[in-house]
Amino acid sequence: MIKQPMLTRLTCYLDSLRTCLRLDSKIKKDVLKELYTHLEDKSQELKESGLSEEEAIETAVKHFGSVQSIARQTYEVYSSGTWRQAFFAALPHLIIALLFALRAWQSIFWLTIILLTVISVVLYGWWHGKPVWLFPWLGYYLIPVIVTGILLVYLPGGWFWLAVLVYLPLALFVLISVTKQTITQDWLYASVMLLPIPIILGWALALGMSKDFLSIERQLHETKGLVALSFLILAITVAIFIRVKQRWLKAGALLTPELLVLVIVAVASRGAISFWLWLGLVILSIFLIFSPAWLERRLTQNHQ
Amino acid sequence: MLDQCRVVIEKEVTKMNYERELLKGNTDALLLCLISHTPMYGYHIIKEIERKSNGYFQFKEGTLYPALHRLERAGLVRGEWQVLPNGQERRYYFITEKGKQVLAERLTTWQNFSSAVNSIIKPTSA
Repeated sequence: MIKQPMLTRLTCYLDSLRTCLRLDSKIKKDVLKELYTHLEDKSQELKESGLSEEEAIETAVKHFGSVQSIARQTYEVYSSGTWRQAFFAALPHLIIALLFALRAWQSIFWLTIILLTVISVVLYGWWHGKPVWLFPWLGYYLIPVIVTGILLVYLPGGWFWLAVLVYLPLALFVLISVTKQTITQDWLYASVMLLPIPIILGWALALGMSKDFLSIERQLHETKGLVALSFLILAITVAIFIRVKQRWLKAGALLTPELLVLVIVAVASRGAISFWLWLGLVILSIFLIFSPAWLERRLTQNHQ
Repeated sequence: MLDQCRVVIEKEVTKMNYERELLKGNTDALLLCLISHTPMYGYHIIKEIERKSNGYFQFKEGTLYPALHRLERAGLVRGEWQVLPNGQERRYYFITEKGKQVLAERLTTWQNFSSAVNSIIKPTSA
C-alpha cells in the first residue's frame, strides 16, 4: 500500500503526463494505465530491495524519463493518421472545390445536400469520440453561423441592431464553446477547424459583398477556377496535416498554404483587396492558427 | 588537469552517443526478439533486457512504451490487457505473423552486417 504523500508525487507525475499527452481520450486512458502499472512495479521492486517508499517512487520516476520526452515520442506514434483518415478529413474542402469547379454553387439541391452531409458527419463524429477527421467538417459546420452574422449587416436599420443583440452573443457562445471543447483535445485541431475562415472571408471581400447579386455571380464565374483551386489547396493541406508526425510540421503545414491561398485571393481580387486588407487577412490567419495554442495554455492554467 | 577531464568527458559522450545510435537502430529487432520467445508486458521486457545484456542496455524506461506502441501500430505486435493471479492488470505484448516475418528479415540483415563488420575488424591469420 502506497502512502498518501508519495501517492501525490506519483499522481503529480501522471498528471503532468496526462496534460502533455495529446492523444485520443480512449488511447490516452490506456497509455496512462500502462505507464502507471510500470511505475507501480518498479517502485514495488525498489521497495523490496530496501529503499524507503519515498526513495522508491522518486527513483522509479527518475528512471522513467522526462514527461515531455515520453509525451512527444508517444504523440509521434499516434499523430500520423492513415491515408483513409487524411482523405476523409480533406473531403469537405474537396466538396467545396468541386462545388465551384462544376459551377454548382447556385443549385439549392446541391447546397442542401452538402449542408445535410456536413451536419450528419459532424454529429456522428462528435458523438463517436471526436476522431481527427472530424475537425475540418466542424469548420464548415460553424461557417453558416459566421455567414449569418455577416448577412445581418444587410438588414434594415432597427432590425439590424435587434438581430445583432440577439444573434451575436448566441453565435459567440456557439463558436467559443465548440472551440474550447476542441482545444481540450489538441489546439492544432482547433486551428484546422478555423482554417477556411480567412479564405472564405477573403473571397467574400474579393468578390465585393456590397455589389449586386448579378455582379457577384459574374465575378464568381470568372474566378471559379481559382476559388476551386484555393479549396483544393486547403484539402491537400489538411491531408498533409493528418499524415505528418511532428507538431511543428503540422503547424507549418497549416500556415504556409493558407498564406499562398491568400496571395491567390488578392491577385484574383483585381485591386478589390488592398495591401492593408490583405495584411489584415494574413494576420487573421496567423491569429486563428496560433491563438488556440494560447487559449489552451490559459485553459490548462485555469484548470490547475 | 581540466583539459584531461574535458577530453575524458568528450570521449565518454561520443561513446554514449554511438551506443545510443546503435541501440536506436536495433530497438525494434530487440523487442520483437524478446516478445517472440514469450508474451511479455513492459516492465517484464525491461527486466529481461537488463538481465540478458548484463545491464549493458540502459535507457529511460518510459521510452520503451512509444517503441512498443509503434510496433503495435505497424501490426508487428498485439497488445492485450490480462489479469494477473493477484488481480492486477498488465498489458501483454504478443508477436504477430507479420512481426515474425519482419524479425526474421532483421535477424538475417543483422547477422550479415555483423559478420561483415567482424571480418574487417578482427585481425586475420593470413
